[in-house]
Amino acid sequence: MKTSVSANISKPLQPLIVAVALTFLTACGGGSDTSATSPVVVSPTPDPLPVLDHSGLTPLEADTIDNTEYLSGGDATVFVTDEDAFSTRPDPITDDFTLDGNFTSGDHIFRTPHDGAGPLLNTSNCQGCHLNDGRGVLPDNKDQPFTSMLVKIGDSSGAADPIYGDQLQTFAEQSFTTSDFSSGWPSYKGSLNGDVLVGEAYTYIEFEEIIGSYPDGTSYSLRNPIYKTKDLSFGDFTADIRFSPRVAPQVFGVGLLEAIPEEYILALTDDNDADNDGISGRASMVTDAITNESRLGRFAYKAQNPSVLQQVAGAYRGDIGITSNIFIEEPCTNAQTACQTQAERETNVADQADISDLELAQVEFYNRVLGVPARRGFDSANLQWDADITAGRQAFFESGCVGCHTPRHVTEEAAGSVLGEIAFSGLEENASPIEMLSNQTIYPYTDLLLHDMGGSCSVTRETPDEVNCTSGEECMYVQRCDGLADGLEQGMASGTEWKTPALWGIGLVQTVNPDATFLHDGRARTIEEAVLWHGGEAQNSLTAFKQLSSEQRSHVLAFIESL
Amino acid sequence: MKKISISLALLLAISLSACVDDGEDGAQGTAGADGASGTDGVDGVSTFVTSTDVITTNANIAYAAYADSLISAQTLRNNIATFIADPSETNFSNAKQAWLDSREPYGQTEVYRFREGPIDALLADGTIGEDGEGPEGRINAWPLGEAIIDYVAVVVDGDSGPESAANALSGNVIANTADYPTINAETIQNVFEFGEDERNVTTGYHAIEFLLWGQDLNEDLSGSGSRDSSGGQRPVTDYSVTVGACTSGEVAVIDDICTRRGQYLLAAADVLIDDLTAVVEAWEPNAGVHYTSFVAGGDESLAKIMEGMGRLSYGELAGERINIALKTDSQEDEHSCFSDNTHRDIFLNAKGVQNSFNASYTRIDGEQIEGASIYDLMVVEGQHELANSLRASLEATMAAAAVIDTKAKTGTPFDVLIQQGINQPNVVAVIDALVDQTDYIEQAIVALGITANDLRQDTEEDIGG
Repeated sequence: MKTSVSANISKPLQPLIVAVALTFLTACGGGSDTSATSPVVVSPTPDPLPVLDHSGLTPLEADTIDNTEYLSGGDATVFVTDEDAFSTRPDPITDDFTLDGNFTSGDHIFRTPHDGAGPLLNTSNCQGCHLNDGRGVLPDNKDQPFTSMLVKIGDSSGAADPIYGDQLQTFAEQSFTTSDFSSGWPSYKGSLNGDVLVGEAYTYIEFEEIIGSYPDGTSYSLRNPIYKTKDLSFGDFTADIRFSPRVAPQVFGVGLLEAIPEEYILALTDDNDADNDGISGRASMVTDAITNESRLGRFAYKAQNPSVLQQVAGAYRGDIGITSNIFIEEPCTNAQTACQTQAERETNVADQADISDLELAQVEFYNRVLGVPARRGFDSANLQWDADITAGRQAFFESGCVGCHTPRHVTEEAAGSVLGEIAFSGLEENASPIEMLSNQTIYPYTDLLLHDMGGSCSVTRETPDEVNCTSGEECMYVQRCDGLADGLEQGMASGTEWKTPALWGIGLVQTVNPDATFLHDGRARTIEEAVLWHGGEAQNSLTAFKQLSSEQRSHVLAFIESL
Repeated sequence: MKKISISLALLLAISLSACVDDGEDGAQGTAGADGASGTDGVDGVSTFVTSTDVITTNANIAYAAYADSLISAQTLRNNIATFIADPSETNFSNAKQAWLDSREPYGQTEVYRFREGPIDALLADGTIGEDGEGPEGRINAWPLGEAIIDYVAVVVDGDSGPESAANALSGNVIANTADYPTINAETIQNVFEFGEDERNVTTGYHAIEFLLWGQDLNEDLSGSGSRDSSGGQRPVTDYSVTVGACTSGEVAVIDDICTRRGQYLLAAADVLIDDLTAVVEAWEPNAGVHYTSFVAGGDESLAKIMEGMGRLSYGELAGERINIALKTDSQEDEHSCFSDNTHRDIFLNAKGVQNSFNASYTRIDGEQIEGASIYDLMVVEGQHELANSLRASLEATMAAAAVIDTKAKTGTPFDVLIQQGINQPNVVAVIDALVDQTDYIEQAIVALGITANDLRQDTEEDIGG
């Protein structure tokens, strides 16, 4: 049955009917047995279930794949399936000399170490974490520091540590400006008065194995990370400290996600699970650092940033120590005097901001327009999808995964940068919209909302031999969690909530970087493991997945791999 | 027209262009727009120039320029071999001069990038793949994370490491005898883009440049303060084979290091020759895999020529190679930062665009290649004024680039020129001229009716299961 509620409707009626459709569709979004409660929509048999996306397009069906679905990024889709899959410029960029030039400049700045990096930092350039524009990796062993992942910190209320701030910068700049990488590493009490420029603290991972099995008896193994933080250069953390380690995500497609109308996302929220499907979904409302307005957060793991520009500027400051006119202060706390002294030295030799608005706009543009890989498994000449992908998609829909991983969205006009139009000589006023990102139908598989994924965390002080302790060089901070929780509040997001990440391109993550892994902290070695880590609001869907036959599960994974 | 033999097309092209370039059309100098609609156009036999003629000439020049690059790379290799066998100051100078000489033709080939040609898309099996899969990175990638190759100074103006610290080798290839007991072409190819890191550039012109010049640390080797007019100051003793005389930066070394450095240098030259040979063969007239398909490509090939001209002019040259270095005032962002030869990169890249438009190229042995040009074709198509405007804009760019070139040759290299308070307007002038010429190239694409959409075949069929 096709529930073409919002298609073929005369204009004046559309808002009303769409609103009605929302009610209906939301009710059905999460499971296969929920009946529609809306009295208005005539729908004899609500099965297969359409998926809500407020696009105004014909609702998607579980058993029918639209022929345009393989164009995940609309006009911004690229057809690359090798290690460049996440770093390719779409044709509309290539075909316009100016846009092509803006992309090239942004790419260069993205991957080249920038003057003014530091004093404290996690890496020296964007690509240092976003390897090949893809995901970062976990260290091979505990003797290697985090180089493409980092640790966010805060107390139990989410407030920043008074000495260390809201993020551990593992390195001081000499690690990158000299040929001695270890010279800027943290050292225990190495800067107790804050007067020595060293990295803040060193975190490493130990894994414990979790063995489980599917109802059909097939066993699986997960690795549960334990985070151990040592070598605190500036003394103890605040009481009640929490750690949220995060691996750098792939960056493409953000310009499209940014252009989804905010009201379409807000319409997906179900704060109190009114539809009783086990899935709530809360909007992360944040303050725009540029306009000071309250806006929907869309970017970063807890949706704490409302725009690509703020995300980029925030990462430059927090991760690289590159200040901009948006975030003008280096991430040095009052207790870190050596950091402040070095920061002043930086501003003495150059403009106050380490990166100019022009460069920032170029990097913003580059991020916004990076191409989204096309789906694999579709024969576009004969309009045929691989059979296992079709089957897997149906199981994905019917297991309720689409209750959070909303397949489709549409974009509105994608406004030009608030910084201005890019020209070589500088920024000009009134940037024109980015056509390639505007009015597109896209398939990111995310609702951009916060969901409680379950789990809990505890932090203890332990020696390497796991003996409780209270002080001393050996006395590390150890965070153990069960489930996906990180225990860290960030903005509106609690210690168990995460933003639904987009799934597009996920099947190419390990093509782009064979060492890359999945989930916020890279704990999942495979997509299957990532699925198995789901909990909380996703518990019903996980249960449904686990109850599938081995063959059906392989279809679901084939489908996800094709994204 | 498709059936015409290539040699005939070439003959025709040469004869036609001889008529067009008989001086008549240039008699009015830069004000020549008038002539295009006047008597010159009538006199000119250019009415016979077809797009296939233009494409054929463009392909012939590609072959000549890449062949010159290969020939001069072989000369470079011979000089390097001589030098490492007898590391004298004279032989060192000769090797460096051979590198500079080899950049002259290569710089003019860059206009053949960004058009799905061999340089960007030639695969190891000799077929043409997608842009980005070709040997370009191995030949000419920059900026280098040179710390993967050899010793670097402790403090430098720029960053010598990879993009990600996780992708650093322990030590560097030359010093790390444990992991790399033998240094040959295979060794350095294996670590190219080690860890998928694009700064781990271990082959190509700039790896050779670094091994010949070393980091640009100023005359006093301080690596700090205002930049001076010197390039890298690598001592000849870095290649010494005399017992006890080998140097390697500030660290104590075994004599073996200098031998290994020489082996690296020679291996890099060998890899360069291999890669250039593959590109030259793909462009070989009547035989090369790309030459034949390109010459038969009609408007799509014509569009590729224009696209290469436009994308090099704007995004690559004006943007990445000039404007970013200017805006960041950073040697890290300077193309040939070790040798301070960036002024030639700029001049020659721009020259390549002009070559493509005028269908002319001067080979390293002095032979002039000329043929049917885009200028001719535009006149045929009735676009006299635009043809002339574009010609003038290319000339203006060359004039501006000549200023940078001259400044560098008279003691103010590009890395000094980009510093605030020196003479940035000279650099800005080149950028502005390149932006102007790109605008005219865009107009020419429209005027010739070869929209960007013609450029790309629909690649969607490539993604089937």
